[in-house]
Amino acid sequence: MSVFVEIDHVDRIFSLPNGGSYVALKNIELKIKQGEFVSLIGHSGCGKSTLLNIVAGLDQASHGGVILEGRQVTSPGPDRMVVFQNYSLLPWLTVYENIALAVDEVMGRSPASDRRSIIQHHIDLVGLRHAASKRPGELSGGMRQRVAIARALAIRPKLLLLDEPFGALDALTRGGLQEQLMKICEESHVTCIMVTHDVDEALLLSDRIVMLTNGPESHIGQILQVPIPRPRNRMEVVKHPNYYSMRNEIIYFLNQQKRDKKRKATQKVANVNAKAIEAPLSNNAPLVRSEAAPQQLEKVTLEIGFIPLTDCAPLVVAKAKGFFKKHGLEVNLCRETSWSAIAQGIATKRLDAAQMVAGMPLGMTIGMGGNQPLPIVTSLVLSRNGNAITLSKRFYQQGVRTLADFKNAIAQTPDRVYNLGVVHPHSMHNLILRYWLASGGIDPDRDVNLIVIPPPHMVAHLRAGKIDGYCVGEPWNSFAVSEDIGFVIATDLDIWPGNPDKVLGVSEDWVNQYPQTHIALLKALIEACEYCDDPRNREEILQLLCQPQYLGSAQVYARPGFIDPYNRGTQEQPQILPRFNQFYVDNSNCPGRVEGLWILTQLARWGITPFPKNWIEILERVRRVDLFGEAARQLGLPDRESDREPFKLFDGMVFNPDDPMGYLKCLEIRHEIRVEEIIIDAAKADVA
Amino acid sequence: MIAKADRFSTKKNLPNFLIKFVQDKLKNIVPPLIAIAVIMVVWQILCPPGSKGLPGPLQVIGETWNPYIINPFFDNGGTDKGLGLQIFASLQRVAIGFSLAALAGIGLGILIGTNKVIYRALDPIFQVLRTIPPLAWLPISLAAFQQSNPSAIFVIFITSIWPILINTTVGVQQIPQDYRNVARVLRLSRQKYFLKILLPSAVPYIFTGLKIGIGLSWLAIVAAEMLVGGVGIGFFIWDAYNNSLLSQIILALLYVGVVGLLLDRMVSFIASKVVAEEQK
Repeated sequence: MSVFVEIDHVDRIFSLPNGGSYVALKNIELKIKQGEFVSLIGHSGCGKSTLLNIVAGLDQASHGGVILEGRQVTSPGPDRMVVFQNYSLLPWLTVYENIALAVDEVMGRSPASDRRSIIQHHIDLVGLRHAASKRPGELSGGMRQRVAIARALAIRPKLLLLDEPFGALDALTRGGLQEQLMKICEESHVTCIMVTHDVDEALLLSDRIVMLTNGPESHIGQILQVPIPRPRNRMEVVKHPNYYSMRNEIIYFLNQQKRDKKRKATQKVANVNAKAIEAPLSNNAPLVRSEAAPQQLEKVTLEIGFIPLTDCAPLVVAKAKGFFKKHGLEVNLCRETSWSAIAQGIATKRLDAAQMVAGMPLGMTIGMGGNQPLPIVTSLVLSRNGNAITLSKRFYQQGVRTLADFKNAIAQTPDRVYNLGVVHPHSMHNLILRYWLASGGIDPDRDVNLIVIPPPHMVAHLRAGKIDGYCVGEPWNSFAVSEDIGFVIATDLDIWPGNPDKVLGVSEDWVNQYPQTHIALLKALIEACEYCDDPRNREEILQLLCQPQYLGSAQVYARPGFIDPYNRGTQEQPQILPRFNQFYVDNSNCPGRVEGLWILTQLARWGITPFPKNWIEILERVRRVDLFGEAARQLGLPDRESDREPFKLFDGMVFNPDDPMGYLKCLEIRHEIRVEEIIIDAAKADVA
Repeated sequence: MIAKADRFSTKKNLPNFLIKFVQDKLKNIVPPLIAIAVIMVVWQILCPPGSKGLPGPLQVIGETWNPYIINPFFDNGGTDKGLGLQIFASLQRVAIGFSLAALAGIGLGILIGTNKVIYRALDPIFQVLRTIPPLAWLPISLAAFQQSNPSAIFVIFITSIWPILINTTVGVQQIPQDYRNVARVLRLSRQKYFLKILLPSAVPYIFTGLKIGIGLSWLAIVAAEMLVGGVGIGFFIWDAYNNSLLSQIILALLYVGVVGLLLDRMVSFIASKVVAEEQK
């Protein structure tokens, strides 16, 4: 099953006459097998035809490219034959001559009789023998399209590209042509990519349906597999049990896109109104000229909240090493006591931005714990990994070394309920801990008790015996180890290496009000993250971190993992874990949507929030890859999201981003999952 | 009209299509005839015989009947020839001038239309030259050619080349993107693209240019011949004016108009045979 056509991270950027640029397609990555039929569906103007033209070679991608059978596509050719939307038949040639034009050109070396028979065969194939000597002007729309299809198939292309081929036809003609096309595709095993608006057509003809989000920066939103067996019959296919659920999913996707479009339009209007009084500034990021020229910042003095942990390093570095200043910002770092305080700070606008746990933007946007939904946006992942699960030393003395041991220990004392500390319901610590427990067969809510404790208090609680373990970031694990009250049973790297841990969160209102400031903030932090991941700088950073206004702890506790080998408090030799704190490498900073979807599934799994039926919309709104991309482009760094591929955690369970519901159903230990459509009204922009 | 139809339809031995044919023709012929008759009557009333100024129609016919109307091909030597021969001589000049203009216009038009650099180089020049009235070229061409016939032909050439050239250029430039895409996907060679797509697609525009061109040529020749002399309808008119033979002028004008109409229709007819149905 080798790849036949690969659309390799294609971007398409148009230059506007006023000097700006419009990103039509962003990071389209698709692999197509031979003989497969793929449909592209999306709203008008989302770039489907642009993408098809790029695959055909009629247009060039701005970044990335298309590879067909191992060779790059640079110019159009008959091996990628296009059936155009307007048929494109030459009106001064007859049907026969139109097809002959193509056949003679491509198969010029064959003898004339061979070519004649090929042309005749294909004319018969589409049922136009009686009209072979008529001109297109004398044919109906359906007949003309049949000629276009015959012309495309007669030259035996490797790839058939259809651009809304049946768009202008009536239902009956369309149905007949669809069946003919299906029959032909089956006989000749030709690979097809079709652009269409018609959901039923896509379900009837395709093996896979690729749904594109709205422009600008249109990307793949969701891919649907169509498991209906072939040969398919137009009348019978609707009786397939999954037909209507698939159909509804596609229509739901399109509705979400429509809502999204409307929201963006009203937001833009609001932005324009709000800024009418101020100096001319640009609005949504994708339309901004991508230059390093400093735009005027709306707000220069910022309050940014953080929690004293090792992975607040990017913020500290950005301030101390002057990255904030470099981008024109005066930042006040506010040390907060708990994650709830940070959430409150953002909600009450006391803080402009904050370091948040990975699930907090999504949780707050959906409206956790019965609170009002407050749209929070994250455009940057500040740090990855950096956490560990520490258990009381008592367990170690009982001989608990692994998850299975822990389960046994719990099972042996059924009367005793063990308490485990987590920092916040929406944090990766909570989700990772629960996932870890559940994969070992421990129900996090029935077999143990999880309580929320702010990180600085964790060790004290452990020492006092109020909790039996916790999951938290450094340095609190190493602190417990060095005090000999706990040991580390698992680190992030054992469970999900590269998991997003802390993100930069700002409220959506704030981003709309201060777009340039936000971009400047992102740029400063990306550079700070890069600085943090350079091993030569770690000593210096440690010095900075351990100052009283930041971590305030002695250096020795913060060193393990960050610089020194990591001591788990077990008998084994401390190892250097180079990726224990990951800030920049491997495209860390991009707030990927696939991770966001995983977080949503986990939040729903444990009943913390309902699972949003319109998860595509919510992810698009909360995880702003476009803003990250804008900041990265201005710095000259790569600006694309990682590929949306299925991934698995340590227990081997595969998470497929195209089927979150299926994933949820496969999980054994979970709460009752509520699936709701969560509509969040566009926050009204403050008119200054 | 309806009465006539009724009268015809009652006769059972006349086949239907003949009835229809006659009906259609009558529908188109009778109104203009009536209009012409009315104009003649009005003209006669406004210009009674014996008045100074324009002669009435009866006077015109009377004065030109012999020899101009009944013998259009008399030849008494020199420039005293029948109207048929005069018109023929003019047409000859038009034919040569127009053919040259067509060749040059279409050729240059294709060249400019396909090549952006040459377009940018020559287009401003052409835009200036084409607004120069045809007769203004006459002194220059006379000085260049020193003879009346070539200079008249040059005036025809320079008048009719502009519409042909510009329309051909536009036709070549306006090839729909669809056809270009087809050529690109099929990877047609430049020559095939030229012959099979470019030219057929530009043909309607070329014929528009030719139609305009022929009309302008005919206009120009009459004016040119007035100044240049020799056998030709233009000079005939000028000569008649100098001799105050108004009736001859009026007759000649009528002939000029009819010939112009026929030329235009001829080009249209050729176009209808060449241009495909869908392109119109």
